[in-house]
Order: sequence, then structure tokens, then C-alpha cells
Amino acid sequence: MRRALLAITGLAASTTALVVFKGSPGATQVAQNLPTAQPVNPTAPGADPSADPAAPGTDPAGEVATPSKTADAPVSPKPGKTTARPSGTKTTTKAPSTPRTTKAPQPTTRRVTGNGFDNEYGYVQVQIVVSGNRIVEAVALSLPSGGESDIHSGDVRDRYDGSGGEVVQKQNANLNTVSGATETSNSYKQSLRSAIEQAF
Amino acid sequence: MTYSHTHAAGRRTGTSSRHGGRSAAPVPPQSPARRGPGGRRLLGVLLLVGLLASVLPWWLGTPAGSLRTPAATVTAAGRITGLVAGYLLLVQVLMMSRLPVLERWIGGEHTARWHRDIGATLLVTVLAHMSLILVGYADLRNQSILAEVGTLLGDYEDMVSAFVATGIMVLVGFTSIRAIRRALPYELWHLLHLSSYLILLLGFGHQFTHGAQLYKPGPVRTGWIALYVLVVAAVLWGRVIAPLAFNLRYKLRVADVVAESTDTISIYLTGERLGRLAMLGGQHFRWRFLTRGCWWQSHPFSVSAAANGRWLRITVKVVGTHTADLRDLDPGTRVWAEGPSGTFTAAHRLRERALLIAGGSGITPIRAMLEELPPGAALIYRARTPADVLLSRELDWLAQERDTSLWYVIGSRDDPGPRQLMSPDGLRQLVPDVARRDVYLCGPPGLVEQSVRALRRAGVPRRQIHLATFEL
Repeated sequence: MRRALLAITGLAASTTALVVFKGSPGATQVAQNLPTAQPVNPTAPGADPSADPAAPGTDPAGEVATPSKTADAPVSPKPGKTTARPSGTKTTTKAPSTPRTTKAPQPTTRRVTGNGFDNEYGYVQVQIVVSGNRIVEAVALSLPSGGESDIHSGDVRDRYDGSGGEVVQKQNANLNTVSGATETSNSYKQSLRSAIEQAF
Repeated sequence: MTYSHTHAAGRRTGTSSRHGGRSAAPVPPQSPARRGPGGRRLLGVLLLVGLLASVLPWWLGTPAGSLRTPAATVTAAGRITGLVAGYLLLVQVLMMSRLPVLERWIGGEHTARWHRDIGATLLVTVLAHMSLILVGYADLRNQSILAEVGTLLGDYEDMVSAFVATGIMVLVGFTSIRAIRRALPYELWHLLHLSSYLILLLGFGHQFTHGAQLYKPGPVRTGWIALYVLVVAAVLWGRVIAPLAFNLRYKLRVADVVAESTDTISIYLTGERLGRLAMLGGQHFRWRFLTRGCWWQSHPFSVSAAANGRWLRITVKVVGTHTADLRDLDPGTRVWAEGPSGTFTAAHRLRERALLIAGGSGITPIRAMLEELPPGAALIYRARTPADVLLSRELDWLAQERDTSLWYVIGSRDDPGPRQLMSPDGLRQLVPDVARRDVYLCGPPGLVEQSVRALRRAGVPRRQIHLATFEL
């Protein structure tokens, strides 16, 4: 019995340790989001001011992002100013942060990654490609995988992702829920919403 | 009343003299080779590695920093405990498979202790898994825990059976608490405990339909299923195939039933090919006597004589209805035996010499072991009255043959003589090198507890104390 108590205590402690270790703030992930989010403000012509400070980032991401935006470009909160920017010169400075989009002819194309969301099946994170004030492509970086999840995630991907998916068609996060994949659809929408909030 | 032999060296092997007809077996030429605790330790390490490996899929499949909300954290803890519980359940069933190699490596006594400890851990882990998942999911869906239970039961495949499995496990765990267990008839308790195989079956589905790590066809899922297959195969082998092979091979039958004292009988058994039966003195079998009243009961009894190639013998104290029925066994009755098992043998000694302490009918495994211990052993036989002393003629003869000191200590526990003797000082006086001996103990629980305490105070290391327990 004494050994059983020891074993139980040991298991409880190590489970806690594992969870704490995996849960420690993913500083690296958050940092990745910032550079792509920063150049957004100056170029988005029709930006919605209410979206900016609200960024309800679930966590440090929001806290870090907000001050950096204001410090970076004090003009940015005012939507009217954005049109003044000559986009031609900007492209070169933006290039390093968005190397993968250089193919696109539009100079304002960029990728924005939404916050990740957990549901009981897994982790969902969405990235959008924004050109000007349009979403031109959506990619789910992470969807639940395994067994039935593979099927449901595939459905979600087919419906939402790509340059002709529902995200691009609707240009917002009010997507129709994919039947059989309610949780994943909801997480997708949440992540998409946060990406849109960062982008515009 | 003490009785001691210190002479009679020299005559120990091969040339045995018969004493009193059948009661004395020819002395085996030598003591069995030692079986150290190596196998047990190796298995312990393997099982720990398996435990780590069972959590590994979660570790690899969870991106660092992805547990951002309390719900995600709680759910993750639920997944870890789920994996651990799934693994422990397999280990638990494996422990009970009676696989010959496990019996050999761990032995019934240690298996029973492992089973109890793992069982308690498993129960707590399963309950933790269930509560953590419930709390986590309820939080994700923003509903109460009770509503979440409804959702899980209603919308999730295989979840009803998982809940039933948990219920059975709680019931089995509850009835295994010693006080409650004693209050139940053995057969009922046994039946309840056998139903735990259902846990394996009922808990199987939900792991694969909902287990985040086991969903996906791939090495993890395949490996987990392979573990299940292995464990089921081990159970089949240990519980069905090996006993079947054993009984078809040796075809044991009752040869004779002999009264040893007013309330003790010896059952002699014969069979075929007994010369090849690998059995050590001190081991036990589970016996099933195939007569009308007895066939459905299986009870463990130690053999009371070492292997001699011609017959087996068990010596049984008549205490209940089953043992009373055994008095009326007819010669020729078929016997179904499972075994041999146990690490209470001369092969598991750590030192050259041994001290044996027997109480009442606890002499039977020690009597068998005495034939196989190296010369120089010492035996203390505690009995309440001279009439309770069993097999004394054989013991006297063996003591002489194997150069063993033998003391009969008669009297109640509170008599001054036994009390003085069973104290640390008394033991040291009787056996000055007691701390450097293996001590084998078999008898009523009171005597065993008292002796262990005295021995520990007399400086005997714990690992040198061997206990005979068949209890599961």
C-alpha cells in the first residue's frame, strides 16, 4: 500500500510537470506572429479601428502585440492616413518578413497567422494571405488529426481552405459550420477571426 | 520441549534410507541453482520504460506552448492519465496472467503485492482521467459537468461501455479493501474479481475512437493494439494453454488420503512422467479436484514433499467445507493442477544458510524445502500443543539427513518459553548468525508478523526474509 501511495503521488506530480512544461508560454510562436502583423496597419486602407486594440488575444500575444503596434507607428491607429503611403517603396522593407509571398505581383500581399485554439480533438491554427484589403487565401496550419479527426479535418480543409474556399468567398469569419466537425469549425473560425483582427 | 541435531554430517546425498514407508522421499542430490532477483528487477525496469513510452505519443504530438487555456491544460492532463491508465490496466492483467515466465521471474508472492499496488494506482488514475476529461470538456463546451456526462454518454461512441468499465473497476477496487473483502464469501469476491476482464473489453473501444493519440492509423495505434494482443495472448497462454498442457502431460490422480492428525490430512497424488516435473520444494499449485462437490473450486496448497519422480503430496488442515470434503476423496479421482508457482524456495536464497520458522500447518512448504536446502539450516517449529505438530517423524529424519538443527517450540504465544524464544535476543541466542541467514516464514499471520518484527530487530535485512503468501 505504501508503494501504491508513492506511485500515485509520483504519477500526479509527473503529470502536472508534463502539463506545465508543455503549457509554458510558447514565446517562439507568439514572436513569429508579430513581424507579420506589424506591417499590416500602414497599408490596410479600410481598417476597422475598433478591431485594433481589442485584439482579444487569449494571452501574451495580445498584450505584446498591442504596445508594439503603437510604438512602431503612432500614425497607424488613424485609418485615414494609411492611403498616403507609397506602397512601392514599402515592398522592399517588407520583403524579409514575408519571403514566401514575393511571387505575388501585388506589393501588399502578406501572411497573417491567427492565434491557435484548442478543442477536445486537437489544436487549430489558421493563416491567411491578405492582398490589399482582401483575403486571397486561407491555410489551416494545424487541425486535429487521427482517426475520424482526419476525415473531419479534411472536410473542414476542403470547405474553408485555399484560394477558392469559403473564407475567400465570404471575406469574414462567419463561415457555415461543417457538419460533423462542429468543434473544429468553431476553433477554425476563432483562429480566423484573430488573424483577420491582426490583419486589418 | 526442544530437540536438536547437530551431528549426522556426511550422510546427505544419494544413499537415502527409507523411514516409515512412504513418508520419506529420496533426498535430491543437490540444492537447486539459485534464482536471484535479477529477473524481477529487469521486469520492473521494462515496465517503467513501458510507462514512459506510453506517454511519449502525447509528448511528441503536443506542440510546446499549445496549452494556453485552463481547459486545454486540464484536458491534456486527462489525456496523460488516460494513457497511463490504459497502460497500467494492461500491466495489471499481465500480472495476473500466470504466465510461466512471470511466475518464474517474480513469483506468486511478489506478483500479489505488485497486483495490489498497481491495482490501487490504476483505480486512482482511471478516476483522475475521467474527472479531468469531464472538467476539461465541460469547460470547452461551456456547460456543467453533469451536462457533459450526458453529452459524452449520448453523442460519443463506446463511451457507455467505458463508463461501465469504470464502474466495475470501482466495485472491484472497493471489494478488495481488506476489511470488506473478509466480510464477503470468497466465491463472490472471486467472481467479482474475474469480472475485471470485462474492464479490458469494455474499456478497449473508447481508447481508439476518442483517444487523441490513438485515433490515427500509425505506429502508435498499431503498437497499442499489439500490446493488447500480447496481453490477451499471455492470459490465454498462462491461464488456458499452459495448464492444459501440464495436465495432459502429467495426468495427476489422487492415490491416497492419509490422516496426519485429528484435523489434518495428506493427499498423495500420482501421475505420468512425474520424473520430468520441474518443481521446487516450497512451491504451490492451485488444485481442483474433479469430483461432484469440488470441481468448481480451486485452492492453492503447497506441496509438502519435494519432487521425487513418483508422487506428489499436499498436507491440508481441515478448516472449511471444502477441506472437509477433501477427506472423502476416492483414489483415482482426477486432479486439475495449475502451477507450480512461488518463490518461497531454496532456489531463491541469498545466503548459504537458512533459518526456517513454521507455525502449525505452515510446516508443509518448509518440510518440502528442507529437502533442498544446503546443510546447516535451522528450523523452529511453533505449535500450540504437541498434537498440532505435523510430520514430525519426517522432520526428525530430514534434520538428521540434511544436518539441520530442529527445535519444536510448543505452547501458546503468551507462555514464557515461546515468548522468550521469539524475541530478538532469543533468536540470536538460538541462532547466533541469524543476521547472515535467509529466513523463511510460514504460519498464521500473528506469528509471521511477530517474527518479522523480532527478526528485523535482530538485524536480519528485509530482503533476506521470505514469506509464503498465496493470498491474492
